[in-house]
Amino acid sequence: MILKLFRSTQEHRFERTYAAPIADVWRAWTQPELLRQWWGPEHTSIPECEVDLRVGGRIRIIMEAGEGMGKYAGTRWPLEGTFTCVEEPDRLAYEATSWTEGEEGATIGHVNEVELTAQGEHTVVNLRIHVREIGSGVKARLAAYGMKWGYDAQLDKLDTLLSSPRTET
Amino acid sequence: MSIELGEVFLYRNIYRVYGAVMHATVFAALGEPRRLEIVELLRHRPFAVGDIAETLGLRQPQVSKHLKVLRDAGVVDVEPVEQRRIYYLAPPAFEELGDWVESFEVLWEQRLDSLGDVLAAMQAAREDAPATTDDEEGST
Repeated sequence: MILKLFRSTQEHRFERTYAAPIADVWRAWTQPELLRQWWGPEHTSIPECEVDLRVGGRIRIIMEAGEGMGKYAGTRWPLEGTFTCVEEPDRLAYEATSWTEGEEGATIGHVNEVELTAQGEHTVVNLRIHVREIGSGVKARLAAYGMKWGYDAQLDKLDTLLSSPRTET
Repeated sequence: MSIELGEVFLYRNIYRVYGAVMHATVFAALGEPRRLEIVELLRHRPFAVGDIAETLGLRQPQVSKHLKVLRDAGVVDVEPVEQRRIYYLAPPAFEELGDWVESFEVLWEQRLDSLGDVLAAMQAAREDAPATTDDEEGST
């Protein structure tokens, strides 16, 4: 049973409903100039954002820490990937890796699926992120992810976190 | 204002998500199937080297080697009890991993909040604009 947990697919699911038409949400996800407006948290900038919107096309987003981030200022966190599904206006998927520049040993490999559903004036966004590899070279895989179940103190919180999709409006 | 505290928390989160430096060794240590088995065994209770070897059907020197890697990565710790060395899972490593997973969620929650702001701004811009050329969007 434990082994099963360790090997099980680790994924994060998010669900959000926005008061916006589906076309807007699609554009926000696929047009670089819009994407860069929401991708980075506060005090970060997106110096590079490239979206070649077709299956096999490249997605590349570089997030950079700004002055406000103190000692992390200047740190760059690239994401580079390939689109595996582009079906306007409701399905988008890409496989990508994320890492911290200069610390390639801790690269994270992930698969991302975005599904948009129009609901009247609103759009429901379902995002599924499957982290399938952590660390380059060594297939550290997801063992690491399963670890969170290994420690009782974390168990409940994380279980809830990962198993129940959140609905927020 | 608690903004500053919140920000510090955020930076730490971002750094944890993308700069999982300290975890790299942990991930590598756990990436080996035998070592993972040892960790799984230790979840139940602390074990002495010999008992681990016996339970998992491994040779003791091999187990010792794995335990060393796990210990170097901070995943397990050891305590001598009489003549035996008892190994147990080290809480901090697991807490860090838990935080790391959680911070990933936090980052995405924030990102999705920002997406909402951008969508609202797009909407507002459209409402402010004279409704003459409504169909000309999408030209970049």
